[in-house]
Amino acid sequence: MKSYKIAIVDYEMCNLFSVSHACEFAGVQAIITRDPKTIMQSDGVILPGVGAFGDAMKNLKKHGLIQVVKDVVQSGKPFMGICLGLQLLFSGSEEFGDHEGLGIIPGIVKKFPESANGKRVKVPQIGWNRIKKQKDHAVLSDVPDGAFMYFVHSFYVEPEERESVLTSTEYEGLDYCSSIQKNNTIAFQFHPEKSAGIGLGIYTSWKNIIEKNNEGKQ
Amino acid sequence: MKDLQVKYGLPAEVKFCVRCVMSNQRPASTAEFKHNKDSKKITLNIDSEGVCDACRHAEEKQLIDWKKREDELLRLLDKHRKNDGSYDCLVPGSGGKDSAYQSHVLKYKYGMHPLTVTWPPILYTDYGLKNFRNWIDVGGFDNLSFNRNGKVMKLLTKLSIENLMHPFQTFILGQKNLAPKLALKFNIPLIFYGENEAEYGNPLADNTSSLRDKSYFAMNNLDEIYLGGVSIRELREKFSVDLVDLMSFLPPPIEEIEKSNIEVHYLGYYLKWTPQEVYYYAVENTGFKARPFRTQGTYSKYNSIDDKIDDLHYYTTFIKFGIGRATYDASQEIRNAHLTREEGVALVQKFDGEFPDRYFDEVMEHIELKPERFHELCDQFRSPHLWEKSNGEWKLRHNVGKTGTAD
Amino acid sequence: MYHRIIAKLDIKGPNLVKGIHLEGLRVLGKPETFARYYYEQGADELMYMDVVASLYNRNSIHELISRTAKEVFIPLTVGGGLRSIDDIRSVLRAGADKVSLNTAAIKDPQLIRQAARYFGSSTIVATIEAIKQPNGQYFAFIDNGREETGIEVAEWAQRVTELGAGEIVLTSVDREGTGEGFDIELTKKISDLVGIPVIACGGAGKPVHVRDVLQNGHADAVAIASMFHYDFVHRQNDQGHHESEGNNEFLKNKRRSGKIDATGLSELKAYLKSEKIPCRTTE
Repeated sequence: MKSYKIAIVDYEMCNLFSVSHACEFAGVQAIITRDPKTIMQSDGVILPGVGAFGDAMKNLKKHGLIQVVKDVVQSGKPFMGICLGLQLLFSGSEEFGDHEGLGIIPGIVKKFPESANGKRVKVPQIGWNRIKKQKDHAVLSDVPDGAFMYFVHSFYVEPEERESVLTSTEYEGLDYCSSIQKNNTIAFQFHPEKSAGIGLGIYTSWKNIIEKNNEGKQ
Repeated sequence: MKDLQVKYGLPAEVKFCVRCVMSNQRPASTAEFKHNKDSKKITLNIDSEGVCDACRHAEEKQLIDWKKREDELLRLLDKHRKNDGSYDCLVPGSGGKDSAYQSHVLKYKYGMHPLTVTWPPILYTDYGLKNFRNWIDVGGFDNLSFNRNGKVMKLLTKLSIENLMHPFQTFILGQKNLAPKLALKFNIPLIFYGENEAEYGNPLADNTSSLRDKSYFAMNNLDEIYLGGVSIRELREKFSVDLVDLMSFLPPPIEEIEKSNIEVHYLGYYLKWTPQEVYYYAVENTGFKARPFRTQGTYSKYNSIDDKIDDLHYYTTFIKFGIGRATYDASQEIRNAHLTREEGVALVQKFDGEFPDRYFDEVMEHIELKPERFHELCDQFRSPHLWEKSNGEWKLRHNVGKTGTAD
Repeated sequence: MYHRIIAKLDIKGPNLVKGIHLEGLRVLGKPETFARYYYEQGADELMYMDVVASLYNRNSIHELISRTAKEVFIPLTVGGGLRSIDDIRSVLRAGADKVSLNTAAIKDPQLIRQAARYFGSSTIVATIEAIKQPNGQYFAFIDNGREETGIEVAEWAQRVTELGAGEIVLTSVDREGTGEGFDIELTKKISDLVGIPVIACGGAGKPVHVRDVLQNGHADAVAIASMFHYDFVHRQNDQGHHESEGNNEFLKNKRRSGKIDATGLSELKAYLKSEKIPCRTTE
């Protein structure tokens, strides 16, 4: 059996090791790298990320990765964004001042309101929440509708194209997009690698997608 | 190196035990009656392998068959247990974790009928007083507290500082002698102390004959008895203290001792003493609470927290012997394997000798000693072989972290 | 919002320990054994606190973090003795998802700002060790509840929020390890005051205590140690012979612990569910 090589993009925004452990668990060989060549030659790319939007864009730029990420998505190579790695795909963010994003997915990134229905909203949202499937996709084949996933975020995405919304989640009365899928690009607001067995199932399913994608190429 | 003056008959060369953090400057307990300015100390022995006697004892302790020891205790208790409404044993204490544990297991586990007796602190801390109350009210014991003449206690405490730099000297005496006196009054044959590392290996603290000896000495040699470093004669003549106000510091009358068969035992000989487990026991059974802040001079929150003078006492041992409270605490914990030596050294470096300013002013005011005078006295009591003044600051020549001025 | 149930593991050297009022550290076993068990039982997060790290100016649980991160796929917060951006980075690199700061943050509040800026607010957890004063005020302590700071807890909670902490672990040192219940008054006061999640810690002795602090104390999450630890200790047969370091007496003798009603994670969650308190259950 062929072992698939996944590139986890290292742009100094942490969260790399839990992602690589999850890959390991799913039986996928993963490499943490910021080398454009290694990234382009991999079978799949993960853009993780914890931290501030602006700093993340700055770091991507500093390491010459902005075009690389755009090229990966363009090429149709399986791509998975996690948390900040979802938000970065959008056009811009309000976090710590307005910052321009990668602009791969049309839409914007917004901060959770401080209150809803006269009640204070705790921001960031930290904890487990349910995801509601908005469409079917192989990456969620082992995830039941309404499953709990682990979230940590103060900002959420608002995609312009409704059809790219993969799941939605409700936080303090606000229904927002908690993952997107467009062609071979998949990105989650939650952390599948921190969402116990069900979350790890996403990695396994993603591995199967890569496998199929490779078969298709041959 | 030139020979430096050595005070108190301490060893001229400072050595540290290779297992714990104690030095060979630690004095063994002395006969406090005879303690005056010229007393020489017997100090802790460190053997040819660099291990101190206390650590050797701890080593032996590992081999003890505690089941057998408990059986011994059961036999002793069976011999003395009374069910006629009178007390059958006496537990001296303040309601700290140790006395709480002692009295509680004796009464509620072994079915004894202890009377608890208390020689109250010189200045109770709020936490100490609360723990004392809880001991009686939550734990459930009869207690007799002997409130000695406070004015004389103050004077003697002050004299102990001025003459011996030992604020606890008279307190220790009174505390030691209260138990046998009350045992005699209530016809209680058995006294239980907690743990005594120094006298480890021996179940008996004071037996009748040693009590008799002390009492004989005290009562027949009043002029040779020193309290706070001052002879009784001088206290009466120079300080106009009435003899009756000094009696509470002295042992019971010899005639009464001779008629009795009082035995004083260490419960720590029979039951394995783990300070932390004793703490848990006291929290769960007598409402004991640790103090909500670290004790100055050390790292712990639950040890000897009832007297405002406690912290000062350990500060004076640091002045006289270079051994502060963290050294005492860490050494004990290392022997129990609760700390590694490396941790112990770090704790000593961090906390030993920290000046106890939390209660200092209050204590000085209470005993009517000027704070400046106290500091002057400290400098007089520093032994030159231990201390060096550099850049206006006193520094130890040798410490366990090997960062002293002569290390 | 679904309330998180967090298992808190206090660590000293190679051991999982537990104290009362953060004092008297009793050895309960190997932290990774407990971590794995809590993960399997459905813990929402884990917390490793090196309880003596700041006392010794060390931080040395990186290996433990790495081992845990490889087998436990829920968030892991690590605290104790972290003093700089570099310290934080190295713990995150070892596999921690969040770090908690107390002593160093009090000494240099800008550390929270820098760390939040650098690693993201949600990675930075402010731990507050609160002790109630005789006059009813709460003060923040450092060095595992040992050193006073003279800083009022509510004021500090607001400050850490402004500085960019993502959440607050609010420990009542007065209740910690006692099993007498959470300090509801304190928790409610702080949770209502700040806009970030507040994790109540210290005092859980019975399932009903957890319900109370979530409902009446407005806590967003709870961190629990004794209740879970004693439950697991009694389920396994650890005689405490494996380690020579630390106070093993409890493991050797295994007395029942006074006021703690030992309760497993899944039991607790089942109880909360029956009380209509939203929390994650593994269907």
